[in-house]
Amino acid sequence: MNAKTVIIGLDGVPYAMIKDFAASGVMPNTARLIDGGFFSPMRSSMPEISNVAWSSMITGKNPAEHGIFGFMELHPNSYRMRFPNYNDLKAPPFWETCQGKSVIINVPSTYPVRGANGVLISGFVSIDLNKSVYPPSLIPTLKEFDYRLDVDAQKAHKSMDLFLEDVEQTLQARIRAARHLWNYCDWQTFMLVFTGTDRLLHFLYDAYEDPNHPHHAAFVDHFRTIDGVVGEIAARLGESDRLIMHSDHGFERLDYDVFVNHLLAEKGYLHFKTGQDAIIENICFGTKAFALDPARIYLNYKGRYPCGTVEAAEAEAVLRDLESLFAALEIEGRKVIRSIHRKQDVYSGPYMDDAPDLLLIADHGFNLKGKAASDRLYSKGIFTGKHTYDTAFLLAANCDTSRLPAPPAVSDITRLFT
Amino acid sequence: MNRTLTHLDKLEDQSIFIIREAYSQFRDVAMLWSIGKDSTCLLWLMRKAFFGNLPFPVLHIDTSYKFKEIYQFRDMYAKEWNLNLIVARNEDALAGGLGPDKGKFRCCNELKTIALKQAIAKQKFKALYLGIRRDEHGIRAKERVFSPRDEDFEWDYKNQPPELWDQYKTKAAEEEHLRIHPLLGWREIDVWEYVKRENIPVTSLYFASKGRRFRSIGCESCCGPVDSEADTIDRIIDELRTTKVSERSGRAQDKESDYMMQKLRSLGYM
Repeated sequence: MNAKTVIIGLDGVPYAMIKDFAASGVMPNTARLIDGGFFSPMRSSMPEISNVAWSSMITGKNPAEHGIFGFMELHPNSYRMRFPNYNDLKAPPFWETCQGKSVIINVPSTYPVRGANGVLISGFVSIDLNKSVYPPSLIPTLKEFDYRLDVDAQKAHKSMDLFLEDVEQTLQARIRAARHLWNYCDWQTFMLVFTGTDRLLHFLYDAYEDPNHPHHAAFVDHFRTIDGVVGEIAARLGESDRLIMHSDHGFERLDYDVFVNHLLAEKGYLHFKTGQDAIIENICFGTKAFALDPARIYLNYKGRYPCGTVEAAEAEAVLRDLESLFAALEIEGRKVIRSIHRKQDVYSGPYMDDAPDLLLIADHGFNLKGKAASDRLYSKGIFTGKHTYDTAFLLAANCDTSRLPAPPAVSDITRLFT
Repeated sequence: MNRTLTHLDKLEDQSIFIIREAYSQFRDVAMLWSIGKDSTCLLWLMRKAFFGNLPFPVLHIDTSYKFKEIYQFRDMYAKEWNLNLIVARNEDALAGGLGPDKGKFRCCNELKTIALKQAIAKQKFKALYLGIRRDEHGIRAKERVFSPRDEDFEWDYKNQPPELWDQYKTKAAEEEHLRIHPLLGWREIDVWEYVKRENIPVTSLYFASKGRRFRSIGCESCCGPVDSEADTIDRIIDELRTTKVSERSGRAQDKESDYMMQKLRSLGYM
């Protein structure tokens, strides 16, 4: 009998937080796994957002190979937005190529669901339960468990108490479903992703840092509950079975949201049609570059976009100008952008043409946004946490980690079990 | 005289009460007529409420992409019913070539929402009658009979007067306009039963031809028919008693990407 693999995903959880909770007794089961296993900070994908990172994790490929570069893309020869989904993933996820059955629960970017050898329940952004569950015969059972595809993050904008109640109920329902599916079939790989962590970190990073915050206890309890599941799973595994825990990106405190398109417009790189809203759909001639969330910079090439302006021959000069612009950006005396990457330095594969020309990684506290219609360069909204590129975590027990680079990246995880 | 009210009588009475109650509060009003079955039914009730002569205009938001049957029907009955018809179009956007090929969301926004905004600003309407119904669409279930819109056209659905026991808040602040929904409590089947009872004309698009009919109509480019053999009002009523297909299943604009956008926005993306 082959060794089985269990993967527990914790969306957005940074290395330091796991280390902290393991040491302080909030996550004792995780602490035991750290003691006997491999535990390291991990790099996310570029950009460091969930659908790109999870697509990289499940395929073991980079975005130019799997085709997912962000939550939104533009239609060909257009400035109209579209939302790529599981159908746009151009490389197979590991469960479609590996031996044996799999149970896969709540992996982001797997909606709408398609058939699998075993069970697949789609994660963020899933809309309709009927299109999120394979086999569909499981739908009535999941409804009985009050299974929720996702926390309703709208609630956090209205009432943190309602939001926390939803986070807790979503977590409990996810655990009920996972317990049920543990015995559903004779699986080889079992993967369970918790995404409430990312929602908590977006809205309540401050509650994690401040023990006197009114929601500090709720925040910590969420991780305590997850650690209970880790303990439950660890106890059921055989001696040679692998247990992997990891996040897809890290988090840190957010000081300011920074609107990249505002900067581009202010410096004359981005122009909108006169009298129209400052949104990507209204880009007009004269535009040299624009950003899509979070900080994917695209040159407005002639021939590629309806109001394309940049000639291939001048691209290098525009890129250099942009690099200087971004490198020099400061807010309140602090450097905003830590590193600037050209696409050929971070991607390789058949979908290079769809890749952004530049990728920006923000410095501490700054959250880069591709939202266009902003009347200022930076602001502070409701969110208290922001994603990070290099502080995700990987914890592997009973795995051969010798094939991992140091530090590993999210696209390396499948090497541990395939 | 002793009269037993049928279900349709009660709906009709209540709608006419709402229509007259609103008119007692506002004189600068208009009714939106999409030429569909619901707003045509509303127009019928209006004519009853005001004894055949509407004391305000009927507004048609014309995207220019409607079915030809809609335009024919509009012009024929505007004349027959002696309506003060105002056709509102976003001429600038149409001159710029805007159409569904430029993006459905943008097309709807420019040719419907903005065209309506322009008409309200130009005519200085303080209130509008609409033929929407609660059972049409999830978000409409949250509507009120008297529903305020602020200066930006925003509908704050989390902060609305409760309207318990049919007590309506009929006043609007200076910068708001009020939307009045006399058909809010009607179901799709009620509308058809009323159309039958009153012999109200509706466009031929609703009746099955070659195994398909439209259950909900709007722009030709963005409405799909449903499979149906219902070629008479009676057969439509029979179909509605058993169907599991939702009324607006053919309407492209209601689809998933709007929900995705909402979910992404709630986490700060976009």
